[in-house]
Amino acid sequence: MTPFELAEPKSLRKALQLLDTDDPAVRAFGGCTALMQMMKSGVFHPSRLVSLQKVEKKYSKIALADDVLRIGALATLSSLAAARAVKKAAPVIIETLRTLSNVRVRNVATLGGHLAHGDPHMDLPPVLIALDAELTAVSASAVRDLTLADLYTGYYETALARNELITEVRVPVTANRRAAYVKCTTRSADDWPTLGIAVALTTAGAQVADARLVVSAATEKPLRLVQAEAVLRGNVINDGLLARAGEAAAAEVELMSDAHGSAAYKRELLRVHLARAVRKALAA
Amino acid sequence: MAKMNTVATHRNISFTLNGRQVTALAGNHQNLVELLQGQGLYGARESCAQGLCGCCTVIVNGAAVSGCLTMATLVDGAEVRTIEEPQADGGLDAVQQAFIETGAFQCGFCTPGFILMTRQLLDAHPNPTEDEIRHYLSGNLCRCAAYTEIIKAVKLAAKKRKG
Amino acid sequence: MATILGKSNSGSAFGQSLPRVEGRAKVTGRAEYVHNLRLPGMLHGKIHRSTAAHARIKSIDVTAARELPGVYAVYTSADIRKLIPEPYYGPAFHDQPVLAIDKVHYVGEPVALVLAEDVHVAEAAAQLIAVDYEELPAVFDEVEAMTSQAVVHETLKPAGTFPDLKHLKGKRDTNVALDFHLRRGDVKKAFAEADHVFEHTFKTQQVLHLPLEPFVTLADPTPNQLVIHTASQSPSFVRIEIARLLGWPETRVRVKVPYLGGGFGAKLYIKLEALVAAAALISGRPVKIALTMDEQFYTLTKHATTLRIKSGVNKDGKIIARECEAWWNGGAYADIGPRITQKSGFTAPGPYDIDHVAIDSYALYTNLTPAGALRGFGIPQLVWAYESHTDMIAKALKIDPLAIRRKNILREGRPQATGTPMRDAGIEKVLERLATRMKWEQAFDKGGGTIRRGRGIAIGFKASISPTTSVAIVNVSADGSCIVYCSTVDMGQGSDTAMAQFAAEALGIPVESVSVVHPDTDVTPYDMATLGSRSTYHMGHAVKNAAEDARDKLLQLAKDVGLSAETTPIPDIFRKKYGMQAGNIVGVGSFIPPYTPPEPGTGQTPDATPFWMIGATGAEVEVDTETGEFKIMRLVNLVDVGRPVNPAIVETQISGATIMQLGFTLSECMNFDAGQCTNASLADYRIPGIRDVPPVMENEAVDMVQQTGPFGAKGVGESGTFGVSPAIASAIDDAVGVRLTSLPLTAEAVYRGLRAQAGKPLQD
Repeated sequence: MTPFELAEPKSLRKALQLLDTDDPAVRAFGGCTALMQMMKSGVFHPSRLVSLQKVEKKYSKIALADDVLRIGALATLSSLAAARAVKKAAPVIIETLRTLSNVRVRNVATLGGHLAHGDPHMDLPPVLIALDAELTAVSASAVRDLTLADLYTGYYETALARNELITEVRVPVTANRRAAYVKCTTRSADDWPTLGIAVALTTAGAQVADARLVVSAATEKPLRLVQAEAVLRGNVINDGLLARAGEAAAAEVELMSDAHGSAAYKRELLRVHLARAVRKALAA
Repeated sequence: MAKMNTVATHRNISFTLNGRQVTALAGNHQNLVELLQGQGLYGARESCAQGLCGCCTVIVNGAAVSGCLTMATLVDGAEVRTIEEPQADGGLDAVQQAFIETGAFQCGFCTPGFILMTRQLLDAHPNPTEDEIRHYLSGNLCRCAAYTEIIKAVKLAAKKRKG
Repeated sequence: MATILGKSNSGSAFGQSLPRVEGRAKVTGRAEYVHNLRLPGMLHGKIHRSTAAHARIKSIDVTAARELPGVYAVYTSADIRKLIPEPYYGPAFHDQPVLAIDKVHYVGEPVALVLAEDVHVAEAAAQLIAVDYEELPAVFDEVEAMTSQAVVHETLKPAGTFPDLKHLKGKRDTNVALDFHLRRGDVKKAFAEADHVFEHTFKTQQVLHLPLEPFVTLADPTPNQLVIHTASQSPSFVRIEIARLLGWPETRVRVKVPYLGGGFGAKLYIKLEALVAAAALISGRPVKIALTMDEQFYTLTKHATTLRIKSGVNKDGKIIARECEAWWNGGAYADIGPRITQKSGFTAPGPYDIDHVAIDSYALYTNLTPAGALRGFGIPQLVWAYESHTDMIAKALKIDPLAIRRKNILREGRPQATGTPMRDAGIEKVLERLATRMKWEQAFDKGGGTIRRGRGIAIGFKASISPTTSVAIVNVSADGSCIVYCSTVDMGQGSDTAMAQFAAEALGIPVESVSVVHPDTDVTPYDMATLGSRSTYHMGHAVKNAAEDARDKLLQLAKDVGLSAETTPIPDIFRKKYGMQAGNIVGVGSFIPPYTPPEPGTGQTPDATPFWMIGATGAEVEVDTETGEFKIMRLVNLVDVGRPVNPAIVETQISGATIMQLGFTLSECMNFDAGQCTNASLADYRIPGIRDVPPVMENEAVDMVQQTGPFGAKGVGESGTFGVSPAIASAIDDAVGVRLTSLPLTAEAVYRGLRAQAGKPLQD
């Protein structure tokens, strides 16, 4: 790593001003874990880094009110895992965090950084998309809301401008919603996922009223499985239905081959594990 | 490099190190492991350089972090604790004793990280199940693979802590 | 309490599970590693590495690197050659240059070195070096290397250092560094007479050691000596080889080795030492190079292999003939590959009593990272092949896997393929204990539905490297305490503790009064190296001999001053002699076992090894038939280590070796694209973590005594690795009928096998 300037603004407004530059070597960070990895491996040489660790505390608050879970983007993943509001509103997030990286990284990595990184192997993006979450992004001159699904535009690409920061993530709380995340690893237990599958179902009696299914890790960005969702919606879950949903999922997305497995094999994993994820969600 | 003269790339920081107030000149591009080496402490070791192996574990403001992924300047004003922190009456704490008694290490390079993480684990879960142990320590790697002994050490340390 | 010779007051030192002598240092983070060392005026070195797999170097432009503020110097081979005209090193061939000369032979080969006081400056400057290459045809596969037009080295220079490698020549204009051949009986005739002939080919992948303390060396050019502090398993070799390169007497080079943060065979012979030594001498400053984790992928790997094995078997399962061909992918430099090719090669038929055997084993150069020894010295690759093959035969003949082994194993006194008779080799005992612990002859729950269960067993054996020398000194102080001087390196295996136990046992004094000095070639005497599970046996003998020499001298001293050493405390004997607490008794011991080199062409010898190591594993797995995903539910590991010096440390060695091999079996694999490793980091190359450890692990050292061993002991470090891979592959086959013949064993490979079995192969 080579020397660079570090700014530690006390307010978000100041941070956004510091980021309002044409220099691509200026970046903000929350926990700085992913950024440090990039700097150490020589992928990124900053001229200036803007630490968000000293901005107003309100940006790391976690609160549940009016059927909305509001998570400040600077909340660490550990604080998320420990928050009662999260446990009440979306326990799937806590379950997902258990195998997300490790304790030390969770202690410093922030939700905003995790989401803004754009790495398709991250665990929370598919879960939050399944939960129909949205976020607020701000720049020195504008504020806008967008859905988590719209955040991701491609491989390591997001809809955020370079001078824009996520400030808050909102997860709607829905009655009778059950959710699960299945992380398939094909090498060691704590490997990056070969495939991530997030499921959120709302039920009306025995029927699936709504289903949001998301696949990640084997795709350029987390993707909704709309065909598979359609198979489930309005129906009663049984093995035959799940098999059809699995087939639909396997048919509708293009998966990538990599060192974790071939696209053909991942398709089979998706087919089987989608059904299992739905069962897991129903049991949650 | 010309930039070095016009903007601050280094600064003087002060922090508490194992209970003692210290000051140091830190570069923004240096990490916490390098900062500690400058203080003559080598128990936190950079190995994988990715935050995956846990050899560089350091406790900052009560939370475990990967020293290799922590910018040195960010510990300005913080309370930093390392494996070298003296234990009560100059001896070893329950976790260190348990690691010795169960033979929970071979080469010892990863051991400080495992011991610091075990202390954190036992602070949070005084009676950890084996599943909790495995999950909590999944971010620490031991290439000698003394894992079964480490699990035994954690269980023994939990017992010792209760006296 | 004063110590009386032979009257240890802590009970017998040998065979006790004593805690490690360095335990306190390790749990407080204060254990000494080269990693910790900094010297005044020290420069950090960073290496610029080749981006081409095989290419001529047209030019190297170091201008930008040299001009970067803070850079002290940039060196290429031109600078090295001013100091060392022939800067080539290696234990088998002098084939490896300190920095690339004219050509690069693999991606990652060191081409230039930057020195700076600030390690970050050195790192930045190393990236500014530009090399212009003219690409040459390259070869990566070990079988293709046999006939490839791409030749890695134009000339071959045998080293002639080790007595067992004196015959090395290499074959000019080919990639063959060594070909080893063994012939016993009449294979052709036996195949013709056999009821069945089976032939299979197996593959293993490139994996690597990855000690958590990466390679690190610091050289200090003092006025009288070059002092090299290095994380090395072979300090004596480093001294001799660096002195040879410099044309200096051995005594002008001093090599010091503290604790190692893991070794596993990586830190042997010369790795960074020649480069760091040269840089220190040219710059006149202490120089340290500490590789990053990622750079380890460009330093040394385990041999990838292709193994063909063919057996003639009678109806009853008796194996009468076996033919083995082994191709070892040695990468760009031979390192110790030729020894692996021969010494492991001769065990390729397995621990079986077969009258007619032919072995052809080839060490090959390719344009990949050099390969060397990794915990097992080639044996895990061979066991993978012959034990998979054994079970494939058993299945075809509908014979139980235990029964076919019982019928064929080499029993005590029977000749191994080299003709060397088996002595103190607990093959039968290990196999029978494994069968008992696995409850092999009882019914086994095979599962049902989509979860199928299976089990497998595998047994392997290994010869020790021979002939090799160890020397030790035992120094008894006037207060009765004692210091052991030996060059065995404690890299985590617990040798300091073991050597203290040997000395204490031989002197009959408490272990607590023995300390062990770390290797320092000015202080500790010669040792061949810490490798191949040889230290317990060889250095154990040397320390025992030295302690016995000291004991005899102490007895004589007592006699000379009119005392009985059997009743007089040791301090009183010294006081009587010197009038005060003064003086020393120094005992010296050395050890080299007998050895007869194999006959060229046939590989026959009556004395191939001083002892045999035996290891076996039983595995139980659960396979998900919908996805091919499988879990190891239980691993049972049995070894013959003779009498365990320290049972607790022995168990950790067995368990650690097993888990390491579990990584090589399931998850570890270097991926290459045109010779470029594409997953050179711990993020993308997955080693076992704590959640990968099977829920049930059982380890046992069977009740054996190595009659020729020091107090009945022999080596332990590698035996746990032998049976792991084939036991798991056989368990998968037992569960779902899918036989995998390439490592690593992946869920995808199992799934593809299931689909093929169902007549619906997975389409890509």
